[in-house]
Amino acid sequence: MTQRLWALFRKELRTLFASPIAYIVLTVFVALSGVYFFQHLLNYNRLLFVFQSGAISGGSFDAGTIPLQVNSLNDLFIPTSNDLSLFLLAVLPLVTMRVFAEERAQGTDELLLTTSLRPWEVAMAKHVTTYLFVLLMLAVSAIYPAAVVIKSHLGMEHLLALYVGQLGYGMAVAAIGLACSSLTQSQIVAAVLAYAIPFLIIDFTWLHPVLSQGVAQVLDEFALQSHFDSFARGVIELRRGLYFGGIIALGFTVSVGSMEFARAR
Amino acid sequence: MRFLSAAGLVTILSGLGAYYATEQLSWFSIVNLIVGPLLLVTVVVVEIGRFRGFTGASSRRVALRWGLGIAAVVAASLAANLLGMRWHSTIDLTVERRYTLSDQTLLICEQIAANRDTEAPSLLFLEDALMAKEVRPLIEAYRGACPGLEVRETRATDAPPEARALLSSADATVLACQPGRCELAGFPSEENISNALLRLGRKRHVRVDFLVGHGEVNLASENEYGFSGLAGALRDEGIQVAALVGAAARAVPKETTVLVVAGPERNLLPAELAAIERYLERGGSLLVLLEPGVTTNLEPLLGRWGFELPKGVLADRAGSPLLEDPKPTSLLLRSYNPFHPVTRKLSNRTLLLMPGARAVIPARKPRPDDDLEGLVFSNRSAWLEKDVVAALADRAIAPDPDEPLGQELPLAAAGRYPRARGEARIVVIGDRDFASNRLLLALYNRDLFLNAVLWLAEDDEHISLRPKAWTPHQDPFTLQQTLAYFYFLAFALPEVLLLLGIHAWYRQRGA
Amino acid sequence: MGAKIEAKAVSKRFGEHVALAELSLEIDQGEIFGIIGPNGAGKTTFLRILTGYWLPSSGDVYVDGHSVVKNRFAVQKQLGYVCEQPKLYDDHGVRTFLHMMGALRGIKRADLDAAVERAIERFGLGEVQRRRIGVLSKGFRQRVSLAQAMIHDPPLIVIDEPTVGLDPRQQIELRRLIQALGGHHTVLLCTHQLREAEVCCDRVALLDRGHLVQIATAQEMEAGGSLEALFLDLTQRSEGQG
Repeated sequence: MTQRLWALFRKELRTLFASPIAYIVLTVFVALSGVYFFQHLLNYNRLLFVFQSGAISGGSFDAGTIPLQVNSLNDLFIPTSNDLSLFLLAVLPLVTMRVFAEERAQGTDELLLTTSLRPWEVAMAKHVTTYLFVLLMLAVSAIYPAAVVIKSHLGMEHLLALYVGQLGYGMAVAAIGLACSSLTQSQIVAAVLAYAIPFLIIDFTWLHPVLSQGVAQVLDEFALQSHFDSFARGVIELRRGLYFGGIIALGFTVSVGSMEFARAR
Repeated sequence: MRFLSAAGLVTILSGLGAYYATEQLSWFSIVNLIVGPLLLVTVVVVEIGRFRGFTGASSRRVALRWGLGIAAVVAASLAANLLGMRWHSTIDLTVERRYTLSDQTLLICEQIAANRDTEAPSLLFLEDALMAKEVRPLIEAYRGACPGLEVRETRATDAPPEARALLSSADATVLACQPGRCELAGFPSEENISNALLRLGRKRHVRVDFLVGHGEVNLASENEYGFSGLAGALRDEGIQVAALVGAAARAVPKETTVLVVAGPERNLLPAELAAIERYLERGGSLLVLLEPGVTTNLEPLLGRWGFELPKGVLADRAGSPLLEDPKPTSLLLRSYNPFHPVTRKLSNRTLLLMPGARAVIPARKPRPDDDLEGLVFSNRSAWLEKDVVAALADRAIAPDPDEPLGQELPLAAAGRYPRARGEARIVVIGDRDFASNRLLLALYNRDLFLNAVLWLAEDDEHISLRPKAWTPHQDPFTLQQTLAYFYFLAFALPEVLLLLGIHAWYRQRGA
Repeated sequence: MGAKIEAKAVSKRFGEHVALAELSLEIDQGEIFGIIGPNGAGKTTFLRILTGYWLPSSGDVYVDGHSVVKNRFAVQKQLGYVCEQPKLYDDHGVRTFLHMMGALRGIKRADLDAAVERAIERFGLGEVQRRRIGVLSKGFRQRVSLAQAMIHDPPLIVIDEPTVGLDPRQQIELRRLIQALGGHHTVLLCTHQLREAEVCCDRVALLDRGHLVQIATAQEMEAGGSLEALFLDLTQRSEGQG
């Protein structure tokens, strides 16, 4: 069992890194994060300068003092973290779209599924590999929030909390993408679904005008973005983990189920 | 199919884009947000059309099993999420444990839960406030730890009238409210929220008078040696603070709950000493802060109440290297009387910092029923340095080889004196600077002072360890740092990754 | 000695379309059994059911007594499958691919290297063992596919259209290889090429539009002149009846 899973897992890694897509996705992700981090850095420095120099003397702030709300956590760390999550959403479907769909389109699933491998083993290897890729993306990009953490003495544990959240979030987005990929042979269709579903559930405020307050509040509990904020603030909440875990479990079950459905059709 | 799916994505993005740009659900958004998902559903239905024809019994069984399996995972996830909302469990990984409720807050929660029949306080969380997102984890922590505390989320415009009255003059994210009365929490930290609850729930009026006129620390002074922070901390907990000019007052006022004499540098007038004696005899409470190297006529008075105050300054080589300003007289203290209410909550993990303190020894009981105890003790490696001038001038000092080390010397002590007209209470602390603006928020200094005041005011139920203050980091990045980050992050790293990608592409094309 | 196969009233329907109708047949241990028929006859459908890739709509196939419906994994452990137009991982090297397939087919880690060496030698892959599968010729791809199917020396080998796209010399080589497998292995060969079936197989089943038309033995093939004549005769008769 372990040997077969390991062999499958190595095969998935080889397939992933044999194609330039993985590197292009990594490059785009890191470049986007870098440029936006730099932008936040400039804004933060500018904000400190404006308050320190007393350029804002009216309003509710005293000239020359920096309000408590303006700090490296609020104006640098959290915007950077939010960017990372948004960029994950933007590039992950490009990785997940091919994982199942390509295998099915090329017919290699026939090779795998006639070797006494269980569909869950095939799906597990694909999911774990994709999650590891998410981890790699985050590890490469960790340099941005880590720079803020070190400079601002926020503590490495805070960074850990952020990354637990980012990983959970990234895995959930990847699980959605993988489930979409398992439903179709077309990589384009898989990518479109993998973009559309997270965009629709990332935030439900657009539904508020047509919903009652109670329903809207319940629905908000299931919005993707609302489960990410607390991690960026250094808090790991069980319920957020359960939310991401639920999406990952659902994505995995749909992936295995779609293989079983395809066999039983 | 590809066109349909791409069209679906474009319409959804247009609909959402229009909504977020205008912040209203216009007809354009509605149409797009209906058409887009419909197109995608069509694509999914057609795509899974290849699953059609579950004609055989075994095929139907597999389809049913996996259909049920997926439904079960959905149901289990929903149930787990609903349970997760109910049972709140968090790990706080912020450096200052900002979202872990302090001992003081938990105590307040316990008291609220115990007094549910009385006017229960509630927290009003303004979800549209500027700092709402930042404060939400803290509000969730209150919700989880305080079952008796109702947490109401509302918009500022929907807040009750008593809250709106306060909001018209100040900005706030959180308020503590009772029917008809609200308290602003100011900057929404745990400390401020808990203090707002404390002020709301305080039943007894407590007034602390600071004696002035003999070189005591200035209560209003905001410089690093002033006591403005201490006065603010007392007021935050709902305690009234006033200055008492000794020479003008013939007696300590009846309204005074605790009299504080914060490090006098000159002798008190005989009339003042007599007034303090009379105050104590009628069951008053006195808190005295002393300084090494300063001797006044307050010392004989304290001696009559059982305190021995040997000359000298406490020095300790062991504690000082931890501090930024390493001096043998800067003491890190971790040894407390575990049975006295003032220090019961402190432990060897909750340290005090005193920059130059003298010994306060609970030497003898004036009467057999009296009770005198040490509160805070030095480390065993400390000694009483007699050459105060040399020690305070940072000249080299060393323990007297003839004096044995290894004793824990008390530098704060407390006494209870049952008298016919009431029980007098005295706390003497051998340092005054530990409560100054510079050091009040260092380690647990504030807790020692406030807990001593609460014990003297016979308000033991509020004795606790307070939340640690949060210090926001507001250091700018230097130009060099910014440029280094820019070149490395925006160019060098993507460049390396792109080169790896090109290498992989060539490998894929070649053998 | 090979595996025994029993197909019992196996049917496969896709909606209204009947791909396979109540197919029943038995294949003996060590037999080389051919399935021929025009496009859409149901040949590949039967192979996919036998290999556990698809579920039958009704009926069952037993391999050495193991039901493919109830315990497909036990069946799959006993077979090696060569898909039509070999479906392989083009980004893998030959040796790496065989190594992976050996591990997936349950060969123990200690025996894996030896098994890969044997397969490379047996199918003449030595000169291309370090190359990527994506750049190999059709002949080598077919050999790699056969090598992966036989790396664990299974009692049953299922081969779908093995000679499509091969040049005549490669076709002859492959037929010899299949013939050599008989006796020790049961071979199920599905082909368009009647000559191939005639040369290689002990018995041949003729399928047409999902129905089993006839099973012919080697003797019948010889007596009938050629399999081509028999095939034309039988299919014309079935069309006439239809």
